[in-house]
Order: sequence, then C-alpha cells, then structure tokens
Amino acid sequence: MLIFSTLLDYFTGLKMAGSDSLKQKKTWFWLSVIINLGFLCVFKYYNFFASSFAQFSANIGLHVSPWTLKVILPVGISFYTFHGLSYVIDIYKNKIPAERNFVDYSLFVSFFPLLVAGPIERATHLLPQIKTKRAFDYYKAVDGLRQILWGLFKKIVIADQCASYANMIFANSSVYTGSTLILGALFFSFQIYCDFSGYSDIALGVARLFGIELLRNFSFPYFSRDVAEFWRRWHISLSTWFRDYLYVPLGGSKGGTWMKIRNTFIIFLVSGFWHGANWTFIVWGFLNALFIMPSIILKTNRSNLEIVAKGKLLPSLTELVHIVLTFMMVVFAWIFFRANSVTHALNYISKIFSASLFSPFNLDVNRTQLFETILLVILFLIIEWLGRENPYAISTLPKLQKRAYRMAFYYLLVFLIFLFTGKEQQFIYFQF
Amino acid sequence: MAQFLKKTALFILTGLTVISGIVAIPACLINHFSDFTINKKYKIVLFGHSHPECAFNDSLITGFKNLSHSAEPYFYTYQKVKKVVSQNPQIETVLIEYSNNQIDEKMNDWTWDYKYMSNMFPIYSSFMHTTDIEVLFKHDSGVFFNCISISARQNLFKAITFDYNFADRIGGYLKLNRSQRLSTGDSLAHGISKYRFLNPRLSIINLIYLRKIIDYCKQQNKKLFLIRSPQYKYYEYRYNEKVYLDVKNRYFKDVKLIDFNNFPLSDDEFADPGHLNMKGASRFSNYVNKQIEAGIFVSDSGFVMK
Repeated sequence: MLIFSTLLDYFTGLKMAGSDSLKQKKTWFWLSVIINLGFLCVFKYYNFFASSFAQFSANIGLHVSPWTLKVILPVGISFYTFHGLSYVIDIYKNKIPAERNFVDYSLFVSFFPLLVAGPIERATHLLPQIKTKRAFDYYKAVDGLRQILWGLFKKIVIADQCASYANMIFANSSVYTGSTLILGALFFSFQIYCDFSGYSDIALGVARLFGIELLRNFSFPYFSRDVAEFWRRWHISLSTWFRDYLYVPLGGSKGGTWMKIRNTFIIFLVSGFWHGANWTFIVWGFLNALFIMPSIILKTNRSNLEIVAKGKLLPSLTELVHIVLTFMMVVFAWIFFRANSVTHALNYISKIFSASLFSPFNLDVNRTQLFETILLVILFLIIEWLGRENPYAISTLPKLQKRAYRMAFYYLLVFLIFLFTGKEQQFIYFQF
Repeated sequence: MAQFLKKTALFILTGLTVISGIVAIPACLINHFSDFTINKKYKIVLFGHSHPECAFNDSLITGFKNLSHSAEPYFYTYQKVKKVVSQNPQIETVLIEYSNNQIDEKMNDWTWDYKYMSNMFPIYSSFMHTTDIEVLFKHDSGVFFNCISISARQNLFKAITFDYNFADRIGGYLKLNRSQRLSTGDSLAHGISKYRFLNPRLSIINLIYLRKIIDYCKQQNKKLFLIRSPQYKYYEYRYNEKVYLDVKNRYFKDVKLIDFNNFPLSDDEFADPGHLNMKGASRFSNYVNKQIEAGIFVSDSGFVMK
C-alpha cells in the first residue's frame, strides 16, 4: 500500500508538472486524490458504511447482510495518505515544483519516525530539508535525545499508568460510581495527551538526531483558555492540514458568519471521522465544533494566541477559571472518543450525572499505586506549566546553571521510566 | 560526533549502574531483613494455590497455618517454603497441595505469563537463586524485564518504608460466600471438556519445583505430606486422574499423599467446582482438625478418602 501510494503520488506529481493544459493537470490531480481517498475509504471506512447500511435497513424492516472486508487496516494509512495528498495539492496550486528524485520523495512519505502516527508533514517543509546536505550538530543531537527522554517519560510513566485505570473504568463503567467515572475520564484525558504527544516528542527527537526538524504537534493544549485555543495547540499538524486543505478551500471565514459556522462543522466532523470509523468519533468532532461555536460567533476565537500567563509564574484567577472550564469541556468530549459506542458514552455520562456522583470512589485497586499515579500526573503538570513557553516542557533545562542538577533531573526521568515499565500499551494513534 | 557518542555512552552506562543499584540494593535489604515468622503455636503449615486456600479454614484447626495463595505455582511456593521453614523452627509438618490441575501445562502460564508473574515475582524476586532467575529470563526476557521493573518499584517502596513483614501477605484462608449453581448443562459441558484432560500436557517446570520443595523440606528434616483438597465431581481437571496418579507414583513416591478428593460435600458447599465455599470449608476443616487429633500426620502412611 505504501509503495503503491508513493508511486502514485510521485508519478501524478510529475505528470501535473509536465501538463500542457490546466485540464490535463486537473485530471492528474483528481486521479491522485480519488485513488488516495478511495483506498483510505475502502480500508478504513468500508466496513463501517456496510454495517451502518445494514443497521439502517434493519430499522426500516429490510434485512441485508452486506459483504465485509476482512483485512487488517494498513499501518499508518491515514498519515501517509495525508502526506501524499498535501504534496499533490501543493503541486496543483503551484506552491512547490514536482520532486524528480524518487528516493527523496519516498523518504518524504516514509520517513520512519513519522510514518505510523505523524506528525503529518508537508512537502513544503520536509522535502527541502531532505534535499539539503546535513552535517552533524552536537547541540541539535543532544536536544533530540532530551526530547526523546521526555517523550518516553510521558508515554511510559504517565500515559501507561493512567491507561490501566482508564481501561478498567471504561470497561466496567456500569459498576462504578459517578465520582469514579469522572476519575476514569480524567485518567483517559491524561493518557491520550501523554500517549500521543509522547510519541510526537519521540518522533521529533529522533528526526532531530538526523538533523531534520519535524512540525510541532502539541503546544501544551491543556493550558488553553478556550476550545479554539485548544485546537491550535492539539495535534497541530492535523488541525493545520484541515485548515489549509479543507477549511480554506471551502471558503474559510471569508463568507460571513454562516459560512464560518458551516465550514467549522465540516472540518470537525471530517476530523472526527478521520480518527476512526465509528459514530463515537463523529459525535466527538461534532461536540468540539459545538464547543467552539460561541467563540466563532462572537469572533473571539483568535483572542488567545499567546501562551497563558506569558512571563509570569502563575495565571490570573480569570485565566485559571477559563483553563479549568476548557479542560472540563475537552474531558467531556473525550468520553465519546474513548467509549466503545455512542450508547456506552451516553450511559457513562448519565451515570456521572446521577446521585452516585456524590458517592465515594469504588475503584478496587491498590490505593498506594493509585496515589502514586495521581502524584505523577500532578508532577508532570507542574513541569509542563513551568516549561509552557518552550517547544517542549524540558527544552530549556540546559539553562540551569549547575550541570549536576540537570543530570540529576535526567537520571530521575530515567529512573522513573525504568520503575514504571510495566506491560507495554500500544500507542493509541497507531490504530488510526 | 565522537564527543556526542562518548557522552551518550557515559550517560547510558551511568544510568545502567544507577538502575542496577536500584534493583540490587533494596533486594539485598529485603532478603536480609524479611520477616516470615508466624506464631509459634503453628506446628503444621500448608502451601498451595486457591484450592487449599479456600478449603482449609485454619481458625478451626489447632496448630495449623494455611499459607496458600491463589494462582501460586510451585516455582513461587518454593521461594516461600524456604523462607517460612528457615525462619520458623517450630514447624514440624509441611503440607503441600498436590491436586489435578497442578500437573497441567496451565501451570506454565502461572509461572511466567505476565498476568500472573507480575503479581508473584515482585513478592519473591529478592529471595530467588540465580538459577530461578535464569528460568524466567530464558523463557521470555521481555516479560522478565517488565516484571523486574515492577519488582524494583515495590522493593524500593518496602525498603524506604522499612516494611519487611511478609508473613501477612504470603497467603491465608480465603473465605468464599458464593455457592455454585450447577445445571445439567454445566455437567454436560464438563463432560465434553474432559477430552482436553484425558491426555494432559504436563507442566515440567511445576513438577521440577515440587521436587525442589520436597528435597528442601527433607533436608530440613521436616515431616512432609502431599495433600489434595476436595474437588467437585464434575471438576474438569479430575479427568486427568490416571496421569495425575502416574506422575505421583513415578516422581514423588517418596512422599505420602493425604487425599481428601472425595470428601463428601453437597453441591451448595462448593463455590465452584474447584473451590469450597465458607460452609464447605467449615465442615471440611472441622473434619481435618479431628483427623489431626487422631494422628493423621503422625504415621508415615498415606490417607485416601473413599
């Protein structure tokens, strides 16, 4: 699949560049787009459409049993399809010339750190770096290792520990009290953030060892003051991809408020659907679109462009309230993202808002370990807060005067990574 | 680049040294200070898995301590026996559960599958000999290293909090309140599943460690018996009876078997086919107490409940 997709986009790129007329160029462009999206739809969404159709037919009294595809979803298909699409769209729009060196182009599509879970790169950003002769840079390499270490800490120490509790609570949500279910949703929120941003940190760090700078994917999203800011800081490479290749071509925000509302709903629904063939992701996308609406309508969606409390140690009370409210909305939406079905999510939420919300936690686990995990999450949040003005939380650690403190911190991370290495949990975004 | 590689190698080496220290130092402290002492009134101790754990209510049996633990294969029982026997010289008799499922290959999973090993290994890792460690490492080094890290975390916590008491966490009587509800369908299902057990594949590792336990107890001059707790008539593992007895007579004929397999219990005295509930355990334990008073462990002859 990867080889085919690479060959397809490479040749259609060359054909577009060599086209004599716009019509011919357009034909090659649409050929690439249709085949790329066609494969994505078949492998990722065919079974979903087939089962949804069967369900719909059953509801109106018709019983059909459609043929289903019994294949494993090709690893990273959502990511390399988007890499390829960005390339052909950019050529079509004359933003870049077609790449004639097949090896360079193949490397752009299949550069191993980003192949399975992003960040979703752009040809305009990555291809020139691949083509430039790179020399080993000591400081970049050290910075790369530092970011890898931080990514491993996020994944192994925070995400995997939170995962064990989140999995337990979501799997048996009917037996837990409302307060425990809130805890489960919070654990999942930290799991998904540390899992995905941890992976991105590792990918960025590995690429930096090779002298390549990948697009930044996360920028402290849980410190956002509104949902619009959250989406500028969460999975940035995907959000900007949808902005540039879907939102803007649809008219963006040029056509007035109604067009902005329509386009916002479209990109959030498509973004939800991109994550997986399940109604839960679509509802998750819809909810986020709904949450962002007030700021779109009031035109305040670009009022929080800078990181919160820049240059200060603590946020103001208003900022803190906004951060907490935004976080609560995001956590609420994550319930749909994590649930097995929409019914599961609705039951989960209705249980939260029941009398059992005021009952104590009834999670039957080792309390010391639970306390350890909560403590680690708090420690992690403090480090993230202190480093929020940087590309990643510990990137300015070298500014610490004493080398001994720095080294002690690194060894503490290594030590924690070792101590919390339990059974490995797969990266969540590998499934997409 | 040379400077980068040199510094990275140094960092990794120092890290590995620190990690080795984190693993080794608490383990040594725990091995040295661990406390497995039980009350001096207990002269008879019982080891095994969940069958005896639920069957022997030791509060009803004089001088008897049940140290059985759910899902414990002989590999970990061996580590426990060594510590308990060496720290409790008052113990005269050691009973080891030997029931039908303990010869089955399922015990391999109990020994080194992550699900079970991650519970058992951290408790006993500090007391293991290098040959024991080697067994686990050779089977699956990935799982082994995962468990090493869990073990290091727990050992470190124990060492920091000076928590060296093991006697309270290595097993004991487990009270089950539920009663099994068997239908004709259930007994039929058990009947069907018997083919899986007629020609069972043996857990060699479990049998090797049972031998080690026996040899160790003999070395310590302890009176030793194998014991079988009551099992329900439709318990699927009973179908391996022929192989079970064959293994006993071939490899462990030097140890007598006290067999309560057919102890008469009604259906509602079982929690499930392998485990007695509170009611069953109470009746059975009172019976065992009388048998002990009658001298069941005095003679060296075996005992079979017909």
